[in-house]
Amino acid sequence: MKRSTFLTSLLAFALVTACDKKSDSSSAGNSSDGKKLTIALLPKSKGNQYFATVEKGARAAAAELGVELIYDGPTNTDPAKQNEIVEGWVNYGVNVIAAACENREGISGALKAAQEKGIKIVTYDSDTTPDARSFFVNQATAQGIGETLMDTAAKLCGEEGEFAIITATLTAANMTEWRKNIEARLAAKYPKMKLVTTKPCDDQKDKAQAEATNILNAYPNLKCIMAICSPAVPGAAEAVKQAGKAGVVKVLGLGLPSENRQYVKDGVTQAVILWKVEDLGYLTIQAAVAAAKGTLKTGDKTFTSGKLGAMEIQDTDIILGKPFVFTKENIDQFQF
Amino acid sequence: MNTFLKRLLARPEAILFFVLVAEIVFFSVAGRNFNTSDNVANIVRHSAEIGMLALVMMPIILTGGIDLSVGSLLGLCAVIFGVFTHEWKMAMPLAAALTLGVGAMAGGVNAALITVLRLPPLIVTLGTFSLFRGLAEAITKGTMTYRDFSPEFIALGRERWMGLPLQGWLFILIAIGIAVLVHRTTFGRAFRAIGFSPEGSRYAGLPVQRRIAFTYVLAGIVAALAAIVFTARLRQARADAGTGYELQAITAVVLGGTSIFGGVGTVGGTLLGIASVAVLTTGLKLIPAIALAGIGSELGSLLTGALLILALAGGTLAKSLAVRRSRRQSHAAPKPTITT
Repeated sequence: MKRSTFLTSLLAFALVTACDKKSDSSSAGNSSDGKKLTIALLPKSKGNQYFATVEKGARAAAAELGVELIYDGPTNTDPAKQNEIVEGWVNYGVNVIAAACENREGISGALKAAQEKGIKIVTYDSDTTPDARSFFVNQATAQGIGETLMDTAAKLCGEEGEFAIITATLTAANMTEWRKNIEARLAAKYPKMKLVTTKPCDDQKDKAQAEATNILNAYPNLKCIMAICSPAVPGAAEAVKQAGKAGVVKVLGLGLPSENRQYVKDGVTQAVILWKVEDLGYLTIQAAVAAAKGTLKTGDKTFTSGKLGAMEIQDTDIILGKPFVFTKENIDQFQF
Repeated sequence: MNTFLKRLLARPEAILFFVLVAEIVFFSVAGRNFNTSDNVANIVRHSAEIGMLALVMMPIILTGGIDLSVGSLLGLCAVIFGVFTHEWKMAMPLAAALTLGVGAMAGGVNAALITVLRLPPLIVTLGTFSLFRGLAEAITKGTMTYRDFSPEFIALGRERWMGLPLQGWLFILIAIGIAVLVHRTTFGRAFRAIGFSPEGSRYAGLPVQRRIAFTYVLAGIVAALAAIVFTARLRQARADAGTGYELQAITAVVLGGTSIFGGVGTVGGTLLGIASVAVLTTGLKLIPAIALAGIGSELGSLLTGALLILALAGGTLAKSLAVRRSRRQSHAAPKPTITT
């Protein structure tokens, strides 16, 4: 009796393998057979408001171009789930996979396997290894972020006076790169402004608030606090508000509009800087479809993408353009 | 033939077998590229590690125990394997062997607490569930990820032999080993006896505690093996590897007809449990409407849960109906001596 169940399970397994036929891979990478293209969009995590906004832009592009869009990803950031979803899509026979990669090296194997089946790979937001994709849709370069932050700060301060920076850690690679660009812009364009201190907050809002309070006490002539990691923006704003210096000491930083909406409306925070996340989704799908149709090729210098117009391509990076400045006037138009 | 069919249908696993066949037929018709060797390979790759954990969970549950720590142990072993290969620069086979040793030791910790101190398995493994994961996070400080494994090692996660992914062969070997152990050896038959009646087993002269200890050590070793397979498949070792796998393994075992109270269950049933969950979750993602809506994973867990509850409720209902019918029959028979 026990043997019978063991055998039946083997039988079931044999049944799956027996009706094996070759994968229908002809649909992949073939856009000229009149079938609708299917584009699969992979977020780092599905529930994140940031990626939900990416999806919104992607849906708009998909509707414009008449392609089918699959949006699926792990519920929480989970590299194992990302791989499984990609492998499932390869089987399903999508034409393009556009991925925001949680694990740069880990997902490259699955993406390369997809490429071998003729599926085009585009990455966005976070790249994989360059050999595992055709293009990376880059939401912002370090130079773009650094310059926009410095220019906005200068505008808020009337191009003169003291300002301070709050960063996540003094060693984080991306933030070091941003700071370098901020300081370069400062030296080149704003001789009357002075960076008095740079403090780390370990990516914690509470610590950012404490650091900002210390800075406010130490530098009474301070005109502006620049927060370059997202928890530090509301942290610095809270410190300025509690010190009763709202509007006197300006606050700006890199973060999500949704996390800063109230401070911006109350006039504590003057500017929140980020790329237009919806446009990132839109551009990603535009690039994905163009790559599948062959109108976007390696070596191209620009890429014309629907309503966004011509986008610069650096090597294999499609650049979304300069970051966007969210202010009291426009912040209510953005939900992420 | 008629009695054979009846006997087959009377087994709880029989229903599951038909569920599995129904799934396969349904997804072959409604899904895209379901009946392809690539998809079979996908199913095997995505469920090999959980399947291995389920196979060693089965003897534990059969003895009336439970092991909640296998998923965390998978994460710990993955990290330790990464330390061996990357920081101590060990050769791959040595690192793998030592990792299996670590798995055995961790299983030994569970076994000692359960059999020497006589603490309840649920509490012990709930403790080591956090302990092992915490250790893995401490070693990596929560951020470190081991990458850049050698191509030969990564091949274990990707390559196929005779059409089946390598981890599939490993799974089959373990399945045969566990099936023989549980059903064909006197050593392994003790598991069922212990689960059925621990006291009775002791009076019958079975070394109850030693047999129970063995099941937890075995689970530790196989969890370490699953960690190595997981690392090869994802090309990285991180502290969060295998999160939630223990519950998926328990689901497969219980769905496969093993009683959570011990004493009842077959390895064949566990295999059916593993297969029906794996086919269901993979197949759903290949149905165009579900794929386009991007709800494959959510629907997968929803239907797995429904399947588990239906299978358990169905089994219990069938049993109580049978009891009632037999009671009615005995009531119908003339009973002259009823006076109360």
